[in-house]
Amino acid sequence: MNLMNLMDYHHFPIYSIMVLFLGAFVVAACGTKPSKNLKNPAGARAWIALLATALSLFFLICLVKPVMLGGEIIAYWMGNRAIAGGYAIGIALEVDALSLFFGLLIATAVFVSCLYSIRYMVHDDCVPQYYTLYCMLAGGVLGLVLSGDIFNMFVMVEILTFAAVALTAFRTKVYGALEAAFKYLVVGCMGSTAILAGVIMLYAQYHTLNLAQLATLIPGSMNNATKLAFAFLYIGFSTKAFIVPFHPLAADAHGAAPASISVLISGVLTKSGIYGIIRITYFLFQTMGLGTMQFMLVFIGSVSMFVCVTMALAQHDFKRLLAYHSISQIGYVLAAVGLASGLGFSAGLYHAMNHTLFKGLLFLAAGAVLHETGTTDLGKLGGLSKKMPHTTVLFLVGAFSISGVPPFNGFASKWMIYQATYQRAVETGNIGFLAVTIVALITSVLTLASFVKVTQSVFFGQLPAEYENVKEVPFGMRLAMGILAALCIFTGLFPRLVTTYLTEPAANAILNVGSYIRSMGFKSELILQRADFSQAGVWEPVSWLLILCIALLAVTIVAVASKYDSVSENREKNVAAKYQLFYGGEENVFSQVGGGDLFWGFKHNWRHYFGFMHELHSGVVNDYALWAVVALALAISFMMIVL
Amino acid sequence: MTSSILVTALQYLGYILIFPGFLFCFLCGNLLIGIDRKLVARMQKRVGPPILQPFYDFFKLCGKETIIPAAASKTTFLLAPLVGLAALVVLQLFIPIRGFSAFSGTADIIVLLYLLLIPALAGILGAAASGSPYAGVGLSREMVTVIACELPLVLVLLAIAKAVGDGTGAGLCFSMGAISEYQIAHGSLICKASMIPAAIAFLMVIPGETGNHPFDAAEAETEICEGMLAEYSGAPLAVYKLTHAVKVLTLTSLFVALFLGGVGVGIPAVDALIVFALCIVVTAIFISLVHAVTARLKIEQLFKYYWTVVSGLALVSLVLAWYGL
Amino acid sequence: MFKKLIAESTAKSPWLYHINSGSCNGCDIELVAVLTPRFDAERFGFKLTGSPRQADIVVVTGPVTKQSLNRVLRSIEQVPEPRCIVTMGSCPQSGNVFKGSYSVCAPLSKYVHVDVDIAGCTPRPEAIMDGLVKATEILKEKRGQK
Repeated sequence: MNLMNLMDYHHFPIYSIMVLFLGAFVVAACGTKPSKNLKNPAGARAWIALLATALSLFFLICLVKPVMLGGEIIAYWMGNRAIAGGYAIGIALEVDALSLFFGLLIATAVFVSCLYSIRYMVHDDCVPQYYTLYCMLAGGVLGLVLSGDIFNMFVMVEILTFAAVALTAFRTKVYGALEAAFKYLVVGCMGSTAILAGVIMLYAQYHTLNLAQLATLIPGSMNNATKLAFAFLYIGFSTKAFIVPFHPLAADAHGAAPASISVLISGVLTKSGIYGIIRITYFLFQTMGLGTMQFMLVFIGSVSMFVCVTMALAQHDFKRLLAYHSISQIGYVLAAVGLASGLGFSAGLYHAMNHTLFKGLLFLAAGAVLHETGTTDLGKLGGLSKKMPHTTVLFLVGAFSISGVPPFNGFASKWMIYQATYQRAVETGNIGFLAVTIVALITSVLTLASFVKVTQSVFFGQLPAEYENVKEVPFGMRLAMGILAALCIFTGLFPRLVTTYLTEPAANAILNVGSYIRSMGFKSELILQRADFSQAGVWEPVSWLLILCIALLAVTIVAVASKYDSVSENREKNVAAKYQLFYGGEENVFSQVGGGDLFWGFKHNWRHYFGFMHELHSGVVNDYALWAVVALALAISFMMIVL
Repeated sequence: MTSSILVTALQYLGYILIFPGFLFCFLCGNLLIGIDRKLVARMQKRVGPPILQPFYDFFKLCGKETIIPAAASKTTFLLAPLVGLAALVVLQLFIPIRGFSAFSGTADIIVLLYLLLIPALAGILGAAASGSPYAGVGLSREMVTVIACELPLVLVLLAIAKAVGDGTGAGLCFSMGAISEYQIAHGSLICKASMIPAAIAFLMVIPGETGNHPFDAAEAETEICEGMLAEYSGAPLAVYKLTHAVKVLTLTSLFVALFLGGVGVGIPAVDALIVFALCIVVTAIFISLVHAVTARLKIEQLFKYYWTVVSGLALVSLVLAWYGL
Repeated sequence: MFKKLIAESTAKSPWLYHINSGSCNGCDIELVAVLTPRFDAERFGFKLTGSPRQADIVVVTGPVTKQSLNRVLRSIEQVPEPRCIVTMGSCPQSGNVFKGSYSVCAPLSKYVHVDVDIAGCTPRPEAIMDGLVKATEILKEKRGQK
């Protein structure tokens, strides 16, 4: 009977967090002696971590049916210490569709990245310790999104921040790793402290830490202290999401961290920040209908997407470039979520999910390149498509997805975001939202440009002589990338499925704060709402793809019939002049082209902007700390004025 | 039952392969280019090539040897032109011809905007796969051209969405089919005051999107050896040339569908002829005439031109549409 | 029928690639003159291309200097079959006034098979047109043999 009781799905949220922390302790207990197996220096520890992440994912998937489809909200009191005397004393987990949605994203990314790590983390020292930190980080993020009280959110933020800092500095031999970790530590701690300060202020006011109870108390009784708390919490979670003005940290951290950790920082940590922002703005303070609040979130989202995409255009390191894109895509998410409409939430969450998938895939591909060549400098790489064909295809899937090329998933979600912003603009008559649509569309094409640059300078072009012996990455790594690529294509082809079963329940959860409060055992007057998910446009990826396939088949048949493929090529070592590249008659040794400054024509017109940005991103941690303080000051004054 | 499914399938296949799919694109696209070349020659007081010249070029290239450079990635190099062409033909299927439309129900204007990117992207990937440094320069210019054209195009399409949405009362209208129906009911969009700047901006975008003079910095023969096509020879090159021809047809007929959608008599065959005639007119003025009287712009001039002059026009239109004019 | 179509088209759409192997620029200017309104070679389908990969006819001007010899040969090699090589002006045929110079490798026919020679210093545009049209006939023949 007890066993059956343990397998009740109400326990699953805590299990999914527990297995990760347990995994961390077990791995740590295994000692620090590396295994003799050169292909897997962590030995059994890697498999323990993989098992833990897989179990965690499994528990969350089991919850899809009751929570997403059934609409149930799981309130779980640890040690059965439920509400006493109208106050929530115990520690609680509360899993609604929103939490579960983020939890699923996180668990998926963590599992895939762990699978990838096994073959990826072979050249490093101290690999055994890696998995301890890895599980801590994963557990921290999952705990954050499933937690039902705000102090636990803070605790989890601390755990994940320190694990992430340690993992950023993990490759101490890499240039700049310690520096990046230090920057992250400084600003990350400012963020965590801001969250703690916010939590303290709320506790002092309302004598409770439970999210649901706070949500019943705060909206009616806003005073200056709560507004201050709001500003602190907002800034704290912004640092976790790396949105403007905290984006330079992300670039440094991603550039230095191992690729598997970049996946976590980009796909998982930023999500926890977005989750925190949604929770505090829409649940705790319930600023859903507040136009100025919408404006602020949408504005910051748009600035993030545009500034970061232009910063990405100016990068010449593969991973730093991806890092900026990561924040740019988070900008999309924030802008969509900030609209506070049903379609906006659905689109934003959809994009958040896609971001985890394609950004994970891209970072893993970057890691594969780094693993084989030892560099991520776009100027030094080239022509790897001949040596690493699978990685190239997988990378292209990711690149198409992030640039929003139909029918990949990035297009489906961006397309919804355009509609959501434009609809909002028409509904409110506010031309500012229209500007967001335009910025989003332009950002999308700039993203494409930036990925063209990466494709050209890493995978195509001429192969430098030193990479003549590069091989394809091991199967384990390709498998991890393949899973993400398959998910990218699947979620792109069946947007209806994703919105119906994942994002719309989550969006409904955001809109129905009342049921969140009630299921925790508190009273709420808030009535149930049905969100409006109607769209102005039509997009049927499957039928489009079908037509494209028929068309492509027709062209190919004609082409093959007319001996299109009877080509002359040269496979020998010494290439005859005929098969060398045309370079004005010169020999090929002169024909090397790097990927440094491909978009001169664009940048020349924006030179003042780029010059300004260059000055601004000084790379000095003092400056970034100052930005954080300024941002906090602005947030405080904003909250004081508008709330 | 099965026979009706078969008939439907055959009908769709006919759409894809014959009209307005491949055969139509191949014939009309090349014809447009032929007319364009003849007109440019006549404007420069030359005799000019025969109108069927693009067909000769196409078949000649099909018969030439296809060389694949040793540095190229073969699959991408060969597949890219085919994907680009197929994507463009599919795009053509989504453009309605006064009420008649093969598949316009399944796409809207934002989708069209993105589908327009695919041929450019295919070309860029093919160029990158060739490994040539000239192609590298060419593709970077092509990408900048795409970015440059994107802003005015976005503004124009959003303006249309608002104008038609106001007209139908829905507030917003993205669907291609609905835009076409609205024009049949209420007359062409170009008759609206707010849409005139947008129409002009769109016409200015056409030569940029198709890579015609003076916006052909991406394949400047004289400086960067054909740019993106530097390593292409034989049949793949023929496909590229055809893609360019179809792109001219697609963009001109998109213009006709968006701004002159109400023109026609209601008989599909006659309407198709009228639309094609309008396409020729648009090509003659905004591709041939512009070609004959201008010299190539540098890439940063091109960018500046599109993001200031053309975008400015489109923005005027958007603002006018916003306030319901 | 398809083959015949291709052969016909080959004759009607010859694309030129022009190599200057140390010419005095006289022939180059004349070649441009051929494309201008007065003579308009485009009525035969001629077109200048920027890359040898797309060319059918290679027009070589200049006395093939030592410096340029390898480049000329490499570029000619990169032109796909069927191709036709035309020398223009006396320089690539005989070396003209530069004959005997230590730095001149003319005639070009020592290194590759030349299909058409257009003589003159510089040749008249009419002569150039005539030579190019002859070259297209040779192209068609080569296409037909294949």
